[in-house]
Amino acid sequence: MTEDVTPPSLEPFVPPGMGKADGPGTVHIRSLVKSFGPHAVLKDINLDISAGEVCVLIGPSGSGKSTLLRCIDGLEQIDSGVLKVNGEHLGFREEERSFKPLKRKELRVQRTQIGMVFQQFNLFPNMTAVENVTVGQIMVKGTRKAEARERALRLLAQVGLNGREDHYPSQLSGGQQQRVAIARSLAMEPQVMLFDEPTSALDPELVGDVLDVMKGLADGGMTMMVATHEMGFAREVADSLLFMADGYIVERGDPREVLANPQESRTRQFLRKVL
Amino acid sequence: MDATAKPRIHRRGTYEYVMWAICLLIAAGIAYSLITNPRYQWDVIGDYLTDGTVLKGLWLTLWLTVLVMLIASVLGMLVAIMRSSKIPPVRILAIGYISVFRGTPVLVQLILWFNIAALYPNIRLGIPLTSIGVKLDTNSLISAITAAIIGLSLNEAAYMAEIIRGGFNSVPKGQLEAGDSLGMTEAMKIRRIIIPQAMPTIIPATGNQLISMLKETSLVSVLGVADLLQSVQLIYARTYETIPMLLVACIWYLIVSILLNYPQSKIEAYYTKSRQAIRLQKVEPVAEVPT
Ligand SMILES: Nc1ncnc2c1ncn2[C@@H]1O[C@H](COP(=O)(O)OP(=O)(O)OP(=O)(O)O)[C@@H](O)[C@H]1O
Ligand SMILES: [Mg+2]
Repeated sequence: MTEDVTPPSLEPFVPPGMGKADGPGTVHIRSLVKSFGPHAVLKDINLDISAGEVCVLIGPSGSGKSTLLRCIDGLEQIDSGVLKVNGEHLGFREEERSFKPLKRKELRVQRTQIGMVFQQFNLFPNMTAVENVTVGQIMVKGTRKAEARERALRLLAQVGLNGREDHYPSQLSGGQQQRVAIARSLAMEPQVMLFDEPTSALDPELVGDVLDVMKGLADGGMTMMVATHEMGFAREVADSLLFMADGYIVERGDPREVLANPQESRTRQFLRKVL
Repeated sequence: MDATAKPRIHRRGTYEYVMWAICLLIAAGIAYSLITNPRYQWDVIGDYLTDGTVLKGLWLTLWLTVLVMLIASVLGMLVAIMRSSKIPPVRILAIGYISVFRGTPVLVQLILWFNIAALYPNIRLGIPLTSIGVKLDTNSLISAITAAIIGLSLNEAAYMAEIIRGGFNSVPKGQLEAGDSLGMTEAMKIRRIIIPQAMPTIIPATGNQLISMLKETSLVSVLGVADLLQSVQLIYARTYETIPMLLVACIWYLIVSILLNYPQSKIEAYYTKSRQAIRLQKVEPVAEVPT
């Protein structure tokens, strides 16, 4: 079986200038189902993300945005369907009749190629900013300390945190913590970055700094999936917008078009409430 | 006088005065009885407090306490890690260990270890179900002091395992997910994320266990190990000065546990303070550096 399964219902939206090719920086999902006990959270997800695409996820609370991102990061095991990230089946190897689980080591390698930024930052409070950014490089990738530190300092500068490298997370504002978290993910050199409501826990005046960093990443050609309520970011930065409800992708299209002229009634209802 | 400069006198309730009176009364009563009752034999207590046998017993009690706590902490850490494992048989082993060693009296465990030769007259070190290995005589292997160390350590490890697991559980789930997301192994997460963050919960509780263990070691006197309690028992078996000798032991236990209380309270204060400091710092984030 090859990965080229045509989606059963939804014709995939491909942003202009982007292909459907497999490979680094892509995400391909077919008929993905994920339940927690009897409760199906993701019911039938079909999705293609091209390399370099910025896709914004919106939808009501409980619609499954976080769960989808967590599945793509391998934090949740999917029940059935196909999930390919960076051109590889996540956590599994496809064989004649089944998917065989990968060795832990192989799964960890896949994971380093996917970055995740959490709503609550989840920085390690027992490490300084620079240690947070070096720990993965040193322990997981085996990078030499000096080299890891050098890259960490460069990344911290990139997210606007020069001079903050020796601060502990408790000594940083929420916006600064989230930018350290982004640098921590980037240090692993991922090809896909996932953001789960990265600015929702921040004071309004700190949101802009984080969004600027994300915009810079998008301009640099990073593939990004972003669950957010920041419609301005969707309009300005995103290549595609994806509206989820009740575990389905209800609508997907060009962000400006969907926001201005939603095709589905569920989308219209939701946008009326949030815009 | 300027009203703003006047000192404010705080009211002391009648309740406080009454309690002070009761306190003094109790103290005076105890002191009076201690001094006037000749059967306490303070002269005997004074003579034996620094007696060579007693001090040797005290020394054994001290190193036994420290050694047992060290072994129990290491073993407890291992059991706690196994107890938190995702793999069911590993978890079951740890649960079984904790249930058995916490669920039976430590005194009985000590006596059982001392008499282990009755169950296993010989111990064979080697590969099970083969003839490779060496055979050892249990009685010569397990002396009273070995039985004491094994018995107390294995029992205490079960309690330490639960304390350490409590510390592990205090680490937020998001921390482990962040580690997973970076591709860390279980061992890396334990070493760099879980243990450092669990320490503030584990260390104060361990200090408490240390103070308990100091007194718990007195149980080994039933095995004939010459600890502090056994030493005074040896003396009063000869002199029949039972009460004064028991008081000698109590005075030493009290002195050492009060001495241990001091670092314990310091450690507790340190960890509550560093947590408060973190909370306070969160309120006033450092200003942005202009770029
Ligand atoms: N670990 C879990 N166990 C059981 N149910 C879960 C778990 N995680 C999520 N759910 C359920 O899955 C559903 C989707 O949750 P999810 O967090 O993905 O929604 P969301 O779209 O991110 O919502 P929000 O905007 O509030 O973050 C919810 O009904 C939630 O209760
Ligand atoms: Mg969510």
